[in-house]
Amino acid sequence: MIYRKQGHVVRWENGTLLRVTESGAARETGGLFECWPEPERKRRTGFSLSMDRLKPVLRFSMLERVIVSRGYAEHEYGDRRWSEHTHRFHASIVHDHLRVLVDREEDLEPIANALQKIGREREAPRHLRLAPNVTAALLPFLEEAKQTSGGVDGYGDDITESSINFYRPSYRMRPVRMPFNLALDPGVTTIDEALPRAIALLEPVQGLTLRVLIEEERSVYPAVVTVTGIEGVAAERTWYPYGAGAYGAEILVSA
Amino acid sequence: MTRFAHAVHEELWSHGRRVESRLSYGEAVHETDGSITATDTRDDALVARAEAQLERLRAAMPNDALVRLVAESTLEGDTATMTVREGALSIVTDPEHVQEDLHLMRTAGVPPAARAVCRRPLLWKNGTAAILLHEAHGHPLEHHHEPLPLPDWLHVEAPLIERRQTFRDVPLLRMQHVRVTQTNAPFDLPEEHIEVTMVDGGAYEPLTQTITIRVSASSIGAFTIVEPRANILFLGARGDAQRYPGVICSREGQELVVGSHAPALVTAFR
Repeated sequence: MIYRKQGHVVRWENGTLLRVTESGAARETGGLFECWPEPERKRRTGFSLSMDRLKPVLRFSMLERVIVSRGYAEHEYGDRRWSEHTHRFHASIVHDHLRVLVDREEDLEPIANALQKIGREREAPRHLRLAPNVTAALLPFLEEAKQTSGGVDGYGDDITESSINFYRPSYRMRPVRMPFNLALDPGVTTIDEALPRAIALLEPVQGLTLRVLIEEERSVYPAVVTVTGIEGVAAERTWYPYGAGAYGAEILVSA
Repeated sequence: MTRFAHAVHEELWSHGRRVESRLSYGEAVHETDGSITATDTRDDALVARAEAQLERLRAAMPNDALVRLVAESTLEGDTATMTVREGALSIVTDPEHVQEDLHLMRTAGVPPAARAVCRRPLLWKNGTAAILLHEAHGHPLEHHHEPLPLPDWLHVEAPLIERRQTFRDVPLLRMQHVRVTQTNAPFDLPEEHIEVTMVDGGAYEPLTQTITIRVSASSIGAFTIVEPRANILFLGARGDAQRYPGVICSREGQELVVGSHAPALVTAFR
């Protein structure tokens, strides 16, 4: 069977606005994966990216990179048809030889403000909170993380809590088996808001060991945290574009 | 208004069996307001040229390894790139050089278990010094950092031009090639040294001006160098620049081939 995708993306990348319209198809025959463009199939779906929305973001002088995109795609696989809208934000901010990656616009300001106050590296506290963006990046390494239901995968199959699904971010990529919408079950949902809070990652996650930016009372410092247990998971979840999607929640961990 | 157009046909072969085939084409038009409009518009002539390059690659590829073929035709010309991987070693080559580069890879020495890297001087053979200078000199220039201080006898040509991997990408100022040459260099090779014969990859961290070089084959096996670029000491060089078959440079997610040439170079770290 042939998979087809057509779509349009508007991307603002470090000062350059890019509009991409394309359409393509892919086929798997035995062990062979093939893909090719089908430009005659595409329909223009006109929309733009508001520059006004970016102005608050661009005032941060610590920005090393900003990429904002908005897209729409239509998919078909056999007799299945589905569509999706996407909106992505990615920024990296730097201060004093440290870099923080931010993948949600709303997270940028609090992280940038904290990063400017950063002090010397300290030992990690024994108990701390992880902000939803930090939790989301950690989820693939947590045995407790599970696929949650919602949406369809790269073959148009429903994603349920127990289904096996395949991730296909582009028609040019061979679908790979991957859990979707990773999340933690909220068990104990009471989180002590007085505890130190890891608000951002300073390095890519290495298993259960994270180098993070911690806010503790009025101080901000980098620390390496090795998560040894999860003591609480807040009920509120926020989606992040990590892997095939991850729902980050504020969690309480021992380290 | 300028226009970029290309056609790319890429294939992945595993021990003589084709496992992936990707055809891609399109154009990017730079509008007068600075924005870029990119579409998968087909240029039949470019597609035909890319297919011809792919045929050349297929005819030359080895059938006993993992091989990626990338045939690209742009308005400026054609490229035919072949990446061959055997275990931990890989080369980036073309139909004209594949046999000699395979010989280099297969005689570079099978890497034993990695040992902790010592501070012994390094002799960069087979053109591998181009990777060192790619990371320590070329990437800093892309980030508008100061050029690396070089001794009078060492010269590095690393011209920066706007390049992009696909019509969907924003062009970035990137190295076109790295060509290292020496003129009347000293060459007092310390008796205790490590011979670097193949390099698998590298990186430059602009925040700390630190380079990472992953040596895949050497006289002590595989090891990784992580050093501030200011720590590099250039001790000597010998011979003409030799082509190193192995540089696909990735930055901002865009992978580009960077031609690399260097003589035998002796360095140490402070």
